[in-house]
Amino acid sequence: MIMIRAIVRPEKSNVVLSELSDAEYSGVTKEEVYGRGRQKGIIVGEVHYDELPKELLIIFANDEDKDDIIKIILKNAKTGEGNFGDGRIFVSPVLEAYTISSGKAGL
Amino acid sequence: MREIMAFIRMNMVNPTKQALAKAGYPAFNFSKAVGRGKKPLATEAIEVIMGNAGSVPADSIGEHLSEGTRLVSKRAFTLIVDDEQVELAVKTIIKANQTGNPGDGRIFVMPVMEGYNIRTGECRERESDLTDRR
Repeated sequence: MIMIRAIVRPEKSNVVLSELSDAEYSGVTKEEVYGRGRQKGIIVGEVHYDELPKELLIIFANDEDKDDIIKIILKNAKTGEGNFGDGRIFVSPVLEAYTISSGKAGL
Repeated sequence: MREIMAFIRMNMVNPTKQALAKAGYPAFNFSKAVGRGKKPLATEAIEVIMGNAGSVPADSIGEHLSEGTRLVSKRAFTLIVDDEQVELAVKTIIKANQTGNPGDGRIFVMPVMEGYNIRTGECRERESDLTDRR
């Protein structure tokens, strides 16, 4: 089991979410986050924006679904060729999962 | 060290807090989140309750229920515990949150490699070594 965290542009999260749901990966959690990347935010003249709004999508999935989910996010969160700020995807391991309503282990 | 991430109902934060404190896990974090599970949300029921069958007003909860993304407000609860405490913490969260209905939430257990105490600058591999037991 893995946890996929994707930080995407707020205006792109709806597209990503609906594409994920069409591909039968409907379980997802969304949080509003603020951050900056390697470009140190956006500098316009003397104004420095370094807390840019993003949305964090958290998806728990089986290992074999990883490539598919990442492909969907990459395809739909992209705004063009090489635009900074389209976001990041991180994958980390998950040891156990439980459903509270049934108390059962597993995804 | 393990990170336990629980996505629970909004109104369950207080019962969960109390249950965890009683079980000996006073330290936690939570944040607002929205999400969806495997089953689609039954919007028909909400429409009937609102007496507005067929349309949901956009200015109230409409945004999260609109076509495209139907997401429910949840709270993302995070606590860091030692390996051997995972079982009890998970049991406590399940017991405090279980209503038996879909939407009660999910719990995930993930590995954590290192923890730092910012106040003292210490780096430890066990959560209990970082916490002052007063």
